[in-house]
Amino acid sequence: MAKKMLHSLTLNGEEVEVASAPEATLLETLREDLRVLSSKRGCNQGVCGACTVIIDGKPVRSCLTLTARCEGHDVRTVEGLSDDRILNALQKHMVEAGGVQCGFCTGGMLMSARNLLAEVPRPSRDAVKSALSGNICRCTGYRTIVDAVCGAAEELAQ
Amino acid sequence: MTELLFPTTVEEAVALLAAHEDARPIAGGATLVAMRNAGLVESTHLVSLDRIAGLAGIVRLEDGRIRIGAMTKHAETASCEMLSGSLEVLRKAAGMIANRVVRNMGTMGGSVANADPAADYLPALACCDAVLTIAGPGGTREVSILDYVEDWYETALGEGEIITAFTLPAPYAAASSYRKIARVSGDFATASCAMALEADGQGVRVAIGACGPGPIRDPEAEAALCGHLGDPEAVATFAKALADQADPVDDVRGSAEYRLQLIPRLISGVLNDISKETV
Amino acid sequence: MSLDQPNPSFTGGAVGKSVPKVDSLEKVQGRAEYIADLYRPGMLHGAILASPYPHARILGYDLTEALAAPGVVAIITGDDVGEGRMGAFIKDEHAIAKGKVLYVGEPVAAVAARTETEARAACRLIRVDYEELPAILSPEEGLEEGAAILHEKLADYIKVFDAGSEGNLCSRTELSEGNVDGAWAGCDVIVEGEYTTQPQAHVSMEPCGALAEVDANGRVTLWSANQSVFRVQANVCESLSLPMSKLRSLTPRVGAGFGNKMEPHIQPITVALAMKAQRPVKLILTREEDFEMVRARHPFKVRMKTGAKKDGTLVARHCEVLVDCGAFADDSPGVMGYALLMCGGPYRFPHMKAEGRLVYTNKLRFGAFRGFGNPQVLFAGEQQIDQIAERIGMDPFAIRRKNMVREGDRWFVGPEIASNGLAGCLDAVEQAAKLPRADGSARNFGLAVTAHISGLLGTGAIVKMLEDGTISLNTGATDIGQGSDTVLAQICAEELKLPFDQVAVASPDTDGSPYNWGTTASRVTYTTGRAVKAAAKKVVDQAMEQAAEMLDCDVDELELREGGRIGKVGSNSDVTFAQISGRAHWAVGGPLVGSETLVFDQPTHDPKRAIALGLPFPRIGVFSFAALGVDVDIDEVSGQVSVREAWSAADVGRAINPKLVEVQLHGGFVQGLGYSLFEEMVWDGPRLANPSLMDYKVPTMRDVPDAIHTYIIEDPDPTGPFGAKGAGEIGLNAAPGALANAVAQATGFRHNHLPLTGERVLNGMLAAEKT
Ligand SMILES: Cc1cc2nc3c(=O)[nH]c(=O)nc-3n(C[C@H](O)[C@H](O)[C@H](O)COP(=O)(O)OP(=O)(O)OC[C@H]3O[C@@H](n4cnc5c(N)ncnc54)[C@H](O)[C@@H]3O)c2cc1C
Repeated sequence: MAKKMLHSLTLNGEEVEVASAPEATLLETLREDLRVLSSKRGCNQGVCGACTVIIDGKPVRSCLTLTARCEGHDVRTVEGLSDDRILNALQKHMVEAGGVQCGFCTGGMLMSARNLLAEVPRPSRDAVKSALSGNICRCTGYRTIVDAVCGAAEELAQ
Repeated sequence: MTELLFPTTVEEAVALLAAHEDARPIAGGATLVAMRNAGLVESTHLVSLDRIAGLAGIVRLEDGRIRIGAMTKHAETASCEMLSGSLEVLRKAAGMIANRVVRNMGTMGGSVANADPAADYLPALACCDAVLTIAGPGGTREVSILDYVEDWYETALGEGEIITAFTLPAPYAAASSYRKIARVSGDFATASCAMALEADGQGVRVAIGACGPGPIRDPEAEAALCGHLGDPEAVATFAKALADQADPVDDVRGSAEYRLQLIPRLISGVLNDISKETV
Repeated sequence: MSLDQPNPSFTGGAVGKSVPKVDSLEKVQGRAEYIADLYRPGMLHGAILASPYPHARILGYDLTEALAAPGVVAIITGDDVGEGRMGAFIKDEHAIAKGKVLYVGEPVAAVAARTETEARAACRLIRVDYEELPAILSPEEGLEEGAAILHEKLADYIKVFDAGSEGNLCSRTELSEGNVDGAWAGCDVIVEGEYTTQPQAHVSMEPCGALAEVDANGRVTLWSANQSVFRVQANVCESLSLPMSKLRSLTPRVGAGFGNKMEPHIQPITVALAMKAQRPVKLILTREEDFEMVRARHPFKVRMKTGAKKDGTLVARHCEVLVDCGAFADDSPGVMGYALLMCGGPYRFPHMKAEGRLVYTNKLRFGAFRGFGNPQVLFAGEQQIDQIAERIGMDPFAIRRKNMVREGDRWFVGPEIASNGLAGCLDAVEQAAKLPRADGSARNFGLAVTAHISGLLGTGAIVKMLEDGTISLNTGATDIGQGSDTVLAQICAEELKLPFDQVAVASPDTDGSPYNWGTTASRVTYTTGRAVKAAAKKVVDQAMEQAAEMLDCDVDELELREGGRIGKVGSNSDVTFAQISGRAHWAVGGPLVGSETLVFDQPTHDPKRAIALGLPFPRIGVFSFAALGVDVDIDEVSGQVSVREAWSAADVGRAINPKLVEVQLHGGFVQGLGYSLFEEMVWDGPRLANPSLMDYKVPTMRDVPDAIHTYIIEDPDPTGPFGAKGAGEIGLNAAPGALANAVAQATGFRHNHLPLTGERVLNGMLAAEKT
């Protein structure tokens, strides 16, 4: 076992120190060390998007991010955005539009959607599909998720 | 057992790579960490390039050429307005890599160093006549993208060397485009085609991706095609010349035969797209 | 809210309303717990060593090095599991490879260690001595004379139906009605063809996993990702020779199933590890393992022949299938038998014959996958209907209308069709698809229709009225995300005339829940819904009796009022559920509990009509119907097909929750789109070549049309709860048929092989240009 090193990062607005092996991924650290469980291991290769988190405002794959490289960075997950206006609107519309089925992709999906609406307040349906195409959902067929993101955008614009 | 090292200069990075046998650079990590997760690579030392100042970003040089730092993320390249006209092909290719989230991670240096034959940058850079700047134990050297890929996953990059930048000729006003055939959005290419019109509008530069170890370009055939872009027979002859140089494989994305079929169809298709753009 | 005030939020019945799913809030907040999110004190992590060979005898193990590796607590191999075997139809499978390995990826040994990394590292140190045997990689090879035999003791295995197993033949089924052989002479048009379909991976977003713990008395508690806590219990206990009372099976939230989690995956291994380690063990598969170890949709070879009169009347169909079973029977005999039952489609064929052979091969097991064999045969059948229509110059809608089965008809081999909304489905699709494209260009339109059952086997419900008059509902049905907790609560609330949010749904638990065969066969709304409605009715009856005593009148003078009240007809006086339940709990009669169990018992086969040999399902279910229209574009350069618009209409009897039905139709269509156009598990010799999401591609948001129009047709089933029938699978079935018909229309070329990749379609286009 490689020696663990202490790393400090901002997780959901709080400074945390965590001991992790140099090759540990952020996904492993979040789940196994910090028990922040909304990021899921769906493929561990960056394809499925279930582990997507926001670092310094941008969505990235936590399964492809080494924890050691997050030193000093700002990491956010669904748990840490409970007061976020954009996320709250997305959550509400996901529930109402039927964008949630098994829910395993939902956390990552919301991270991508949150970033999109922060950058583009009124995206077209195509823009939504483009921004969220790296998050796989096997249940919904996507239609209701696009509905939810567009619905949230509309509500936020009012 | 891995150690992660954080050099702050290129020289330091090169020295660290030389000091540890089995050391590797890590850029965006999008490929390297995925491979580690799958148990396909083990390195005793990873040399992180993300704290080296000046390796990321896109600048216009005084002579109009464009320089892209090796650590520039795909997302930045995909939205860079300096990459217009004859260089738009590179911006388009960047925008078709994986998906938005992976584009926030992966870097041009990482992609080109990895030299996946199906990677989107290789044909796009080949079409742009890009030059790589490579730093290593023996100092810095420049390598043309056309000489860069030597065989399947084998490149001009030597032991302990890192790519630091890509230099592109100054853009000029002419259409250029990139077309990628993939099974689904965000998949690696089954075959792809990068194309740019010459400044005089008479000729094109064309590179085919995912149909051999490296991008396929043929300047001689391009010269022969010059002035005959509207002639379907000349285009067919040109396409055949490129297809003859292809060395495609059968894989889960498609058969070798399909890839050979796609080459002329892609060339006509993209030519069609850029002629439309020109009118 | 005071006890005697009804809840003001009540706004009429819960059935027919698109109430949000009860689990959606916790899911959008990242708080839902899946199997990987569970941790127990002292818990170890498991990892599996997979077989590198497709077929080999295990001569021995050397665990010395692995046992000495850091963090390792226990290792199990085939030597640690007894002779027990499990299996839904044929009990042919040990908990872990024992004596032999039968496919690349089959679990051979498993390690429990402090961390997952340590467990995986230790797996690499296990030495297994193999003697390689010849591998059988196709059904044809398996049937050859002198072929290597996978299951030498097949004759001795327990089988739950007349399988006719022999050699590598796992099962055979033969069904016939009328006289097919004599019917061809009377046909004006005959089409025939051979079709192949490819294996499809489920790709539930959540990979399979389990967590097991043994208590002081040696009793096991097992949490796992599953579609049935009871099938988990049965499979673990059969394979590990445990009394069922020694195992409690539970489920956290499940990240979808699609059939993959119905029968066992690694639950038996996890339990064996926990028993050996005497500590809790959690084992979560990687995505690659999930591809290689669990199960997939069967590849089929279909030979089909259909005959009709020149006025379009269908006369006869003959269908023969050869099905790759993989290494273990699993649900395969059921899938093949069901495919044969459905291969005539929803049409009146006076003469039908369907025959199938299912053959063991050295590949991972093929098993249940949404559609259960129906999409494979429908891909052939619905193309042949279009071909006949083309030949006689008939419209695809007209030929289907002319021949479709009607209410009161019998389905192939015998079951009665009690409700049928197919005509309405066809009308809805036709009207919508007739409209021109927005850009005025011509449509490349394809149509297919389908039927699917909902039903099968045992189920139950317990409805308890709590002291305050609110309700606890326990059914044992696993909600895998599709929303059954919500729908069952709606049914319960409707029957009790209570606000939906006063019904709490208990999580499935073999200790506390009534039996439920599983979340499969589009059955939960229909079968479990029936049990819920009946159980709720019993609670109402008990409450009525209490109320009669409280109001000093006869029960038949009473009415159930909305919001949890029972009152005297024509008077204002009433009592609330809270008052009734309080009285029952503390004074008179005892707590109000209603329970109901049932098993679907309508026979499949009518021996007076048809011959049926090797029928795996003696009782199947009631019929839902659907029509699907698609409009496609074909990329000139690549031949790739994209769907511009789709119209999916389904008769679900009664939509308890229309939004959830709609999402089933969307999701089913998109999974069917992937299946039809590009998803394919590819074998490179004995090894799966693409066991990862990098190489196996499923549709992303950009690969699906925005315009998937859904139409819910409601032809209530007399036995269904409020008329409801199933909706889970029917949205997928018709996709390959409809897309193949659209591609034929667009390119002039018919494809007999799935998937319709760019490569195939391009070559079809080029071939069509030549002729
Ligand atoms: C889900 C997914 C989908 C993808 N889809 C596509 C796609 O459609 N098209 C496409 O082109 N690519 C695709 N990629 C690859 C993506 O573009 C990667 O980002 C890229 O290949 C590697 O870049 P990186 O910066 O992450 O490199 P890393 O993963 O950090 O490194 C990759 C390799 O290059 C070496 N290296 C990195 N930087 C340098 C340097 N400056 N000098 C020398 N060596 C270096 C490393 O040692 C390593 O061996 C995909 C990746 C993922 C995860």
